[in-house]
Amino acid sequence: MAMHGMRGLSVFISDIRNCQNKEQERQRIDKELGNVRNRFKNEKGLSPYEKKKYVWKMLYIYMLGYDVDFGHMEAVSLISAPKYPEKQVGYIVTSCLLNENHDFLRLAINTVRNDIIGRNETFQCLALTMVGNIGGREFAESLAPDVQKLLLSSSCRPLVRKKAALCLLRLFRKNPDVVNVDGWADRMAQLLDERDLGVLTSSMSLLVALVSNNHEAYWSCLPKCVKTMERLARNQDIPQEYTYYGIPSPWLQVKTMRALQYFPTIEDPYTRRTLFEVLQRILMGTDVVKNVNKNNASHAVLFEALALVMHLDAEKEMMSQCVALLGKFIAVREPNIRYLGLENMTRMLMVTDVQEIIKRHQAQIITSLKDPDISIRRRALDLLYGMCDVTNAKDIVEELLQYLSSADFTMREELSLKAAILAEKFAPDLSWYVDVILQLIDKAGDFISDDIWFRVVQFVTNNDDLQPYAAAKVKEYLEKPAVHETMVKVSAYILGEYSHLLARRPGCSPKEIFAILHEKLPTVSTTTIPILLSAYAKILMHTQPPDQELQSQIWAIFNKYESCIDAEIQQRAVEYFALCQKGAALMDILAEMPKFPERKSSLIKRAEYSEADTAEQSAIKLRAQQQPSNALVVTDQPPANGATSPVPVGPLSLVMVPSMITTEDHTSTDQALSQQNGSLTKVDPQHPSADLLGDLLGPLAIEGPPGATVQSEHNAVSGLEGGPDAVDGSAIVPVEEQRNTVQPIGNIAERFHALCLKDSGVLYEDPYIQIGIKAEWRAHHGRLVLFLGNKNTAPLVSVQALMLPPAHLKMELSLVPDTIPPRAQVQCPLEVVNLRPSRDVAVLDFSYKFGTNMVNVKLRLPAVLNKFLQPIPVPAEEFFPQWRSLSGPPLKLQEVVRGVRPMPLPEMANLLNSFRLMICPGLDPNPNNLVASTTFYSESTHAMLCLIRIETDPADRTQLRMTLASGDPTLTFELKEFIKEQLITIPTAPPQSPAPAPPPAAQATPQIPPNDPAALLAGLLS
Amino acid sequence: MPVAASAIYFLNLRGDVLINRLYRDDVGGNMVDAFRMHIMQTKELGTCPVRQIGGCSFFYMRISNVYVVIVVSSNANVACAFKFVVEAVSMFKSYFGGAFDEDAIRNNFVLIYELLDEIMDFGYPQNLSPEILKLYITQEGVRSPFSSKASDKPIPNATLQVTGAVGWRREGLVYKKNEVFLDIVESVNLLMSSKGSVLRCDVTGKILMKCFLSGMPDLKLGLNDKIGLEKESQMKSRPAKSGKTIELDDVTFHQCVNLTRFNSEKTVSFVPPDGEFELMKYRITEGVNLPFRVLPTIKELGRTRMEVNVKVKSVFGAKMFALGVVVKIPVPKQTAKTSFQVTSGRAKYNAAIDCLVWKIRKFPGQTEPTLSAEVELISTMAEKKSWTKPPIQMEFQVPMFTASGLRVRFLKVWEKRGYNTVEWVRYITKAGSYEIRS
Repeated sequence: MAMHGMRGLSVFISDIRNCQNKEQERQRIDKELGNVRNRFKNEKGLSPYEKKKYVWKMLYIYMLGYDVDFGHMEAVSLISAPKYPEKQVGYIVTSCLLNENHDFLRLAINTVRNDIIGRNETFQCLALTMVGNIGGREFAESLAPDVQKLLLSSSCRPLVRKKAALCLLRLFRKNPDVVNVDGWADRMAQLLDERDLGVLTSSMSLLVALVSNNHEAYWSCLPKCVKTMERLARNQDIPQEYTYYGIPSPWLQVKTMRALQYFPTIEDPYTRRTLFEVLQRILMGTDVVKNVNKNNASHAVLFEALALVMHLDAEKEMMSQCVALLGKFIAVREPNIRYLGLENMTRMLMVTDVQEIIKRHQAQIITSLKDPDISIRRRALDLLYGMCDVTNAKDIVEELLQYLSSADFTMREELSLKAAILAEKFAPDLSWYVDVILQLIDKAGDFISDDIWFRVVQFVTNNDDLQPYAAAKVKEYLEKPAVHETMVKVSAYILGEYSHLLARRPGCSPKEIFAILHEKLPTVSTTTIPILLSAYAKILMHTQPPDQELQSQIWAIFNKYESCIDAEIQQRAVEYFALCQKGAALMDILAEMPKFPERKSSLIKRAEYSEADTAEQSAIKLRAQQQPSNALVVTDQPPANGATSPVPVGPLSLVMVPSMITTEDHTSTDQALSQQNGSLTKVDPQHPSADLLGDLLGPLAIEGPPGATVQSEHNAVSGLEGGPDAVDGSAIVPVEEQRNTVQPIGNIAERFHALCLKDSGVLYEDPYIQIGIKAEWRAHHGRLVLFLGNKNTAPLVSVQALMLPPAHLKMELSLVPDTIPPRAQVQCPLEVVNLRPSRDVAVLDFSYKFGTNMVNVKLRLPAVLNKFLQPIPVPAEEFFPQWRSLSGPPLKLQEVVRGVRPMPLPEMANLLNSFRLMICPGLDPNPNNLVASTTFYSESTHAMLCLIRIETDPADRTQLRMTLASGDPTLTFELKEFIKEQLITIPTAPPQSPAPAPPPAAQATPQIPPNDPAALLAGLLS
Repeated sequence: MPVAASAIYFLNLRGDVLINRLYRDDVGGNMVDAFRMHIMQTKELGTCPVRQIGGCSFFYMRISNVYVVIVVSSNANVACAFKFVVEAVSMFKSYFGGAFDEDAIRNNFVLIYELLDEIMDFGYPQNLSPEILKLYITQEGVRSPFSSKASDKPIPNATLQVTGAVGWRREGLVYKKNEVFLDIVESVNLLMSSKGSVLRCDVTGKILMKCFLSGMPDLKLGLNDKIGLEKESQMKSRPAKSGKTIELDDVTFHQCVNLTRFNSEKTVSFVPPDGEFELMKYRITEGVNLPFRVLPTIKELGRTRMEVNVKVKSVFGAKMFALGVVVKIPVPKQTAKTSFQVTSGRAKYNAAIDCLVWKIRKFPGQTEPTLSAEVELISTMAEKKSWTKPPIQMEFQVPMFTASGLRVRFLKVWEKRGYNTVEWVRYITKAGSYEIRS
């Protein structure tokens, strides 16, 4: 060691070691640091020996945990010393004390480079080690070519080349550009021909990093990897020092197989066959032995081989061999091996076909569920959860239920959640599902989240034939002496809704049901009491003929809770009491809950979420996400009743009749519009957040379930024209039944309308992606940029964007990448050329896949007519000659528009301005009239002046006369229609608001001056 | 009477138990491990003398290289516990000949166990007076009754001693030469701002006595304090002498002082214990005579140089002198080189405490030596943290000077035998925390 003869250093170290306590040590160190500072500051300079000694002392002090914030200069300067002892300490101290962001390192780059390109091997190694440890971006930029040269050089010793490979790996991680040079892939392939296993192992590490980044470029390396595997597996040409317990370099084997997993497939049949032979040999040759080290090494190789087999979709025979092997593993006594076996079996589930084979081990897995080791129990639970399907669901769920009562408390929540999900996913019949969940609640009520019982209620509500069964079942549970509160909640809800279906059975009269429920009231918390109160109200309503005694009992309860401190309970009590006294009206208000719209189970969502949290980006995981999962099986749910969907339902999305079709006068236009929009699939904006039954517990839930609010809105919208229809609570079921599994955030239509007026904003957003848009318009050219932002920590794959341009627009969308990396934003420019005037709208058909969800949306692009307008002021002396020269149809069109949304004149002027129609004041003597001018650009018309005159009637703001003139008949017509559309229906809600737009009528009414009877009448009649 | 301790531990700086005694069984024997883990091995050591860990409270104190730790689990009287430790340590010192450290403890295990048994009973403090304890706990061990040489001392009757009217003094003492020594020891605490204004200043003083007097003498002490002088002039119905009178705050007396007489006549009269004791303690906040003025100028010249000029002025009488003056001038942590010019004494840089230490062995009054130093700093990696200048500290001793101006007017001794006594009076002023901001 270089420390020979450094007496001062060894004396210092022995001083420190002799210190009795921390304080003495600190004092000694402070003294030494003072001394070192003094020496470094000395003008005379230090001899190399002294410098070395003090720098060693500094390092020693630093390693004891003291702050050393000086002397880095001295350390760095030692790197350039000519002798080994000084150079060594320079490199060591520099790599300990500095990190890649220190400015001092810049001083060292040149010296380090000299050492790397120098002839001295020891110096090369020192320099490479230092660069490998702390080299940052700057090092990568300036040193990469030299390191590459070292790695490829044939004259260097393997020792240097090994270090060079690892150093390059580090530089690559810091700056991927270092290997993005022409022909690097070929050189990499050459490197893999290396005979020396040490260099090969280091190169393989480098290759794994490179391939994980971009496998396309390294196809040529694939056969070499297979060859390496072959060489290792056949144990050919392996020096003794590279075998570990008789296994030829397990590290290299593992790395090679890891690298292979980054290639999607192996196409060359010969290579494939060779690889399979090798894998076969590994699978066959591995067994559990006594020596722990050997076991570890051989299992590491084996599990990597298993992963590769899974990745390659090997033949069924090989798969079954794997499963058999794993089956052997999970039967072993040693817990580590059993754990690995279970874990890998869970991974095997991703591969199709093997489930059947795995099922053979079901009994063994269930035994593992009772293992004393909790991590094994968890793995077993995961595996059971994964391997469950329709055939074995009943067995597994029952096994889980049985296990639940003896399971660890820490596991119960997960266990019950998984049991609930399995029961839901694979229920052979729904009554079994209800049984399971009720059993779950009974056995592990504390661990049942609200989601689980919400889901039961949802199922029961949506299935008429299930209702009596469920009611009878919950009554049975309630009769037990001790009942969990969650059970009380479910029972109260179900009995409240459906107990009347049981009325004929013995012991199920309303009175008895009430008695059973009321018995539980004193034992429950404030969150349950409101549900009980609702149930009482419903029982009371269903009691036919009315029972005076029951009525007085229930009224007394309502009375009692009218002064309850909890606002929710109090409000319900007061309201129910008031409602009860209305008699028959109660029937309408407390009618049976409508069916729930089919939503994705929030349980499954929750489970997916927790999985995504712990996602590790291994090759297998990546692949799992690409593969369409067979895990998500939506319960095949018959339509709840005939009235559910009058519109034919597509598999994933629904055509929604745009809510703007309301005005009778313009049916033709709007129909035209709706035909244009007919191809558009809109994602339903009505359920911005699927919180399942969450809203059930809200105070208004009984009066207005989610469906009712939707339809009342529809009625309100139609009320604009035809006056309010009688609101029939149960007749109309929301049209927009939601089948798309991903809910958009915000209203897409509103976002579109907002973008018609603005040039940048958000076009579409859902939990996974956000699509923003930014547009620039110049004459008849437009340039849009789509910003596709992945909001998640997992990549979005199979991203596709397809433009469906209308005939008048020429659109070119640049290439949209197939994958959007996690939390990344991708920009896709889109060129638009306007050929002709038209109101048609371009549509973007956008789809992507997240995890197993395929999402497809069709979005209208805001490349609308008004974007190609350019406001232009026209003075009076030009306006009138122009106006007169364009006379009569088709160049000049006039139309009386009725049903206009009433608005004051300045507001209308603003509106027109926002459509780039320039208002020219003072041209028309009548102050109630508006005159506007603009220029329209398209390839066919070039710049075309358009003149608009709007005459409004101060007595009746809902109608106006519009005259348009331009040099092109189509333009005149299209522009007229466009303005008309805008005047009739204008998006009113703020664009970002996620709530459904309030109907225009609701806002319009107050604007009618109340003292003007004519306007009032017109408003009502129109 | 409140419980003072459930257990007492003596630890060395590493945390090893040197000796311990459990007085009550409400604390476990391993409590000291908690102390070691949670106090000694953290940075909080020395910040707060009372800590609670789990259900136990730890009171600790460091005396030279020993930690004395008291553990209680119930609600104890903290002041009582600390007083107990202080008294016990002074008692040990008196037994060990003035030293109390790790070695002294190691050399006296048996004696310490014996004493610990005696000075506290089931957590309640007992008599800690060394004079009394030495009567029956002797360092040499109990003399054998069969020894040929008869005891020259009467067999002490401890019970009588403790319960008698003058519990602190043995009867029948005879000295050839009757002498009384009286020391007034004051320590000055000062905090001065950089502009020279006094932010905080007080003096804590004590009067220590050593008596070698025969019989049962009655002593009377007269000081130039305000209350005493006024009372005297009142009683003698003559105007108070012009001259400085001192107002003493927070006076506490040794138990031998007759308080009824102090309350009525305002004179300090007492029957002293034999040997050394602390007669009274007091504090003064007004009219303090500062012995030294310090005028520092510290300039930072750029990032790596500093110039330090300190002038210290002694403002006591020219005939007097101070001893062991040490001025500690803090400098930044990255100090590398220092060079000094001093008009007297010696200066050097001490890296362990990050200070320039200037020592002057003998410092005459009415002089003003100066120190000028150049300090070079080494440049560091970290961006320069603004250096919070800690205050300059001073240590000194000025004999025959009292910062308060307190003087002994008389010390009278009456004894029925009427022998002559020799009275010796000394004054000394020391630095407490004497700090000057720069």
